[in-house]
Amino acid sequence: MTRTLLSIVALSLTLAGQQTLDRSKIPPPGKLPVLRVPTWTKTTIDNGADLIVSEKHDLPLVSFTITIVGGADQFESAGKRGVASVTASMLNEGTRTRDGEALSNALQLLGTSISVSVGSETGSIGFVSTTGKFPQTLDILADMLVNPTFPADALERLRGQRLVALEQAKAQPNAIAGRVYPRVLYGASHPFGQPITETTVKAITRDDVVAFHKAFFQPGRAVVTVVGDVSAAAVKTTIEHALAAWPKGGEKPAFTYPSLPPPSSMTIYLVDKPGAAQSTFAIGNPGPPRNTPDYYSLQVMNTILGGMFQSRLNANIREEKGYSYGVNSGFAYGKGPGAFRAGGDIVSAKSDAALVEFMKELRGIGGSRPVTDDELSMAKDSLIQRLPAQFASVQGINGAITTLWTQTLPGDYYQQYGAKIGAVTKEDVVRVAKQYIDLDHLAIVIVGDRASIEAPLKATGIAPIVVTDIEGNRSGS
Amino acid sequence: MFSRRVTILAVALLASAAAAGPSTPLGTGPPTSVGAGPSTLLGTGPSTLLGTGRQTPGAKRPASSAIKIPFETYTLPNGLTVILSPDHTTPTVAVDVWYHVGSKNELPGRTGFAHLFEHVMFTGSGHVPYGIHDKLTEGVGGNNNGTTSNDRTTYYETIPSNYLESALWLEADRMGFLLDTLDLAKLNAQRDIVKNERRQGVDNQPYGRAGEILSHATYPASHPYSWDVIGSMEDLSAASDEDVKNFFRLYYAPNNAYLTVVGDFDLTQARGWISKYFGDIPRGQPITRPAVAPVTLDAEARLVYEDRVQVPRLYIQWPTVGERNDDQFALDVMGAILSGPRTARLTKALVYDQQSAANLFARQSSNEDVGEFLMAITPRPGHSLTDLEAAADAVIDKFKDEGPTQDEIQKATAGLELGYVSGLQSNLGKAFRLADGAGFHGTPGYFQTEYQKSLAVTPADVKRVANKFLTRGRVVLSIVPIGKADQASKPDQSKKVGAQGFSPAVAARGFSPAITPQETQR
Repeated sequence: MTRTLLSIVALSLTLAGQQTLDRSKIPPPGKLPVLRVPTWTKTTIDNGADLIVSEKHDLPLVSFTITIVGGADQFESAGKRGVASVTASMLNEGTRTRDGEALSNALQLLGTSISVSVGSETGSIGFVSTTGKFPQTLDILADMLVNPTFPADALERLRGQRLVALEQAKAQPNAIAGRVYPRVLYGASHPFGQPITETTVKAITRDDVVAFHKAFFQPGRAVVTVVGDVSAAAVKTTIEHALAAWPKGGEKPAFTYPSLPPPSSMTIYLVDKPGAAQSTFAIGNPGPPRNTPDYYSLQVMNTILGGMFQSRLNANIREEKGYSYGVNSGFAYGKGPGAFRAGGDIVSAKSDAALVEFMKELRGIGGSRPVTDDELSMAKDSLIQRLPAQFASVQGINGAITTLWTQTLPGDYYQQYGAKIGAVTKEDVVRVAKQYIDLDHLAIVIVGDRASIEAPLKATGIAPIVVTDIEGNRSGS
Repeated sequence: MFSRRVTILAVALLASAAAAGPSTPLGTGPPTSVGAGPSTLLGTGPSTLLGTGRQTPGAKRPASSAIKIPFETYTLPNGLTVILSPDHTTPTVAVDVWYHVGSKNELPGRTGFAHLFEHVMFTGSGHVPYGIHDKLTEGVGGNNNGTTSNDRTTYYETIPSNYLESALWLEADRMGFLLDTLDLAKLNAQRDIVKNERRQGVDNQPYGRAGEILSHATYPASHPYSWDVIGSMEDLSAASDEDVKNFFRLYYAPNNAYLTVVGDFDLTQARGWISKYFGDIPRGQPITRPAVAPVTLDAEARLVYEDRVQVPRLYIQWPTVGERNDDQFALDVMGAILSGPRTARLTKALVYDQQSAANLFARQSSNEDVGEFLMAITPRPGHSLTDLEAAADAVIDKFKDEGPTQDEIQKATAGLELGYVSGLQSNLGKAFRLADGAGFHGTPGYFQTEYQKSLAVTPADVKRVANKFLTRGRVVLSIVPIGKADQASKPDQSKKVGAQGFSPAVAARGFSPAITPQETQR
């Protein structure tokens, strides 16, 4: 601990005291810091996986991931939803030389943990470790990836745990909205509209897990990303050695999806949750994929609409009206169709009034409420100037670089980002709002206390109400 | 944590990435296995964690030399403590203003007030019109929030480093001039929002009331930790603008505050700006802090609460000690030995070997003056809470009898190094760590002591705290589906908790609103 001499403080006070401080003047910002995007090298390892290494030596930390292009929506069948995530968990259950407890003990003693996940369109296995523990942790990861044994009794235990979690989720308003919303957006015949259910979890066999592992985890569709306190040249040798038993094979899947059902006219899908203190809202429609040329305009538009605290939706529905603790909007992007979603949790008695305000703001951004200079410049500044914070940690840098690879974005993406966002005009904002927020065909999912909210919602005249169960199936009126 | 915003801030300091094994926070389902697959596009898929609870290198290994946060600290003539820690790795700065006031300082009939007040701090001040705060933080690529705990209220901004001066200006203005623009309308607006925060985080969440019921039963009605940070709806309704003024004048003075700046800034320039904006804010009245003693329970309190849940859950809470007592370190280690990785005692027995539980956690939470050790168990179908309680007790009794092995201690503490080092990547995480050390322990560098003391925990320490605290003096709460009180553990011996919160009359009998070491965000 060092202590500043009191005299320095006194001196500063004196200097400040000599001028009258005008507190009503906002101190102007200093010079904008230069954007420092991390650099990386990209090569290929023996088994065909890409390797990206970004060195960062200020702390003894390493972030390591293997990311697979493709996910549950490319590698699962409709009747076996959940096999991807079960397989991910099963990698923890033992290898040919270590049972589940031995794996756990080894990782505990290394002071780290290995996480495995398979999502909709990508999967990953990885860890963060101290520099000293990196090679040993990597060896365990390779063992889990290449030599899993998938014990049958572990599958039964995991199945039992998952069934409890699915049961618990039936009482969770956001979990319900999270199942019903994609269902009404994409339909039951689209993979995005097919959730994991009790039926699919019960249908998963050990053979399914073995087959999924074999089909999915292949180096030909993988990128290995290493960020942190390593040397690019040396770490390549270490990784090739560790992954020597991971056989060649696999290629990036085609992301072909069935076409979306024709959009219904605007409908309120009401899921009854008797006695709920709040109504959970999800309003929107399918969106464009990540590679849309309108990406930057959409980012700016959404920031103005519902991407920040002082965005229109939150400023109105939370700050001005007090109907909610917070509402927002956003676009989810991937290889397939994305989603636009506006929503939040609304006090039950104001469900109707809040819906009116949501609709007002969605119409507003589409042109009825012009975008101001202030809104446009603040949205752009916010988006552009938040970039450096992404590069503060080894995990953050890893995510930022790996995304370029999974989404096939250019290597100078972050260098170009500011100019691309900066070029967005007010006209662009209104154009993409009109194009991607389809006011005639919005799906409005509301999970709440039907007895008290149905009549007021109906009285708004905004859209007809269809009552559904918690899976999004029509249950009549 | 209750705060101004919905956003949950992922500050990876101590209890971070590596440190937290699969754990189930109060009031939510388990992190694994809910909503996998297709929902990933609209959120994130589940990640499967393998590994561990809190961890450290072995007892004989030295503490990592990488775990250091260089800082300087000084006090302005008005009593404001300043902590400065430059780090030029990333061109951003974190500013944190930490006030030594929380829900435990609230008056009877005003539970939830400290947090409601926190919201008022974002409504503008003498020279800062409403909205400017967000514009100069989030609007320039940064962020802001405030959080209230039982013990302290903290406000922060993360900004690009060229916006440091305006962030200091914002914080100084609300410290010095909040009341200039305060009116009842502003208070009422925030009152509605905070009530929605309670609905969202407590009333409309499965198991959401567990925390307040447990704290209420753990502490006597008059005890300052017996009510929850979020407070009761009735008390939130009762708060007046006069309350706001009195609270502000007493607690929001520079002599009760700690200003921490971490990140890419110039020391000399920062010292000058701090003097300029904070130097002439007048010192407030001295604050007397009543000594708050930890409690013990003479007997077991058994409760059942019927909630809108599908699956029952068992909670057992033991009163322990808080930040001021070094037993907290052994209690932390005990939590990591009992739950988390599959080899942890309770997890191994109930989730893996007997397969009677779907998930569980057991862990110490430390507030400034008091702490609790809390265990929560979700059953698998066919296993009653009564059976699970007995099974957990059998594991705990054996553990009390034999104590942990050195190997268990080693595994439980091996990950501390990674947790601490990884935490150094966040300016904001470092600011919180420095401010907590200064505010609670009188030195910003307390995290070093904490780290060393965690590494020094022995099997004998853990065995001692297990026998000292894991006694029959505890609260056993069953949360069951509505109409299913018979699903409680030992239903005949369990007393029903009403659905309508705790009225003052009930409070007089020893029940009043309370949540454990939770915090509330802006």
